[in-house]
Amino acid sequence: MFSAPQFWADVVKIIMIDLLLSGDNAVVIALACRNLPPDQRRKGILFGVGGAIGLRIVLTFFAVSLLALPYLKLIGALLLIWIGIKLILPEDEHTESNIKADARLIGAIKTIIVADFVMSLDNVLGVAAAAKGNVSLLVFGLLISIPLIAWSSQLVLKLIDRFPYIIYAGGALLGYVAGEMLVSEVLLAPLVEAQHQLHWLIPASCALLVLVIGKWLAMRRLVMSEVVNLVDGKVSVMPDKQG
Amino acid sequence: MKTERQASISKILIPLDGSSSAEHAVDYVIRHMDTLKQPPTLLLLNVQWKIATGNVKLFINQDTINDYYREQGMAALQQARVALDEARLSYQYHISVGTPAEAIVQYAREQEVDQIVMCRQGEGGLKTLLLGSVVAKVLHLAECPVLLVK
Repeated sequence: MFSAPQFWADVVKIIMIDLLLSGDNAVVIALACRNLPPDQRRKGILFGVGGAIGLRIVLTFFAVSLLALPYLKLIGALLLIWIGIKLILPEDEHTESNIKADARLIGAIKTIIVADFVMSLDNVLGVAAAAKGNVSLLVFGLLISIPLIAWSSQLVLKLIDRFPYIIYAGGALLGYVAGEMLVSEVLLAPLVEAQHQLHWLIPASCALLVLVIGKWLAMRRLVMSEVVNLVDGKVSVMPDKQG
Repeated sequence: MKTERQASISKILIPLDGSSSAEHAVDYVIRHMDTLKQPPTLLLLNVQWKIATGNVKLFINQDTINDYYREQGMAALQQARVALDEARLSYQYHISVGTPAEAIVQYAREQEVDQIVMCRQGEGGLKTLLLGSVVAKVLHLAECPVLLVK
């Protein structure tokens, strides 16, 4: 297994998906625990990280068993294409939450768990699709994602800043994985068996689809993420010459 | 390109990321204050990565996010402010949120600074190769002279 090039290609795919869809769990955990009293903060972070990891594991195996059902691969593939397009699209600045920051431990943990649930879905679906039912790949994908949950997501921001095209590569990859999932859909099996070139043609077209739609929508939205001015301060010292 | 309005340096921008190497730039400016005819206006800048994007905003309100940026930013500026206070020099400080190099250059343009003084970061190696260096990007983008301090 470890000598097969296909295995290593899948490993690279999973690392990439994990990195780009690692989500902002670390940020939410840090921010949700900010308003806690200091002695509870550590507890909150600990529970938050633990809960996020546990949730990620449960969701992954849930996703894998769901994807084994007919029709659901179809839906999964469509979702993945959408996730890929969203990755390429620039940030929509208008979303804003009005959830009050909770100063109690239980409130902070609730926020973290709900956020983890929502933010893990794309990652879980991507990794489940890329692993194609291979358990060791799934476990590997989970192991890679755990440090990304616990650490700051500045790493991903810096990577994208250094290599802006990484999001296009990621989008195309998600499209490709979606295509691979389509190919393995039972409903399409007779068609794929008859036309053997579809095995690579469908994934490739899905990758292209994500790139084209993503780029097109991005151009329509064309807003550079702006620099926000937050604090402006002045300290004046007039040592000798006064008046 | 900026036109030469004044012959002397009257506005210096020192970007700070909170690392100890960044403080070298502040020390350098303080030590070389005498060499300038007029005491320049000193601008300190810290840029916070915009870590809270889309999904985070669904769960955390903007006030909490801004408080976090402010706290991190003020902490990054702290050491330089102490040094300048001790040297009894006036300065302005500013925190913005965005991508560091772009934000530094944009602020320099808005404030029409005459010089940016930065520390040539000692990080090096794999990290710089993978993540790039803010210094290199500022050198590339800046419209005013950039002084690199070792």
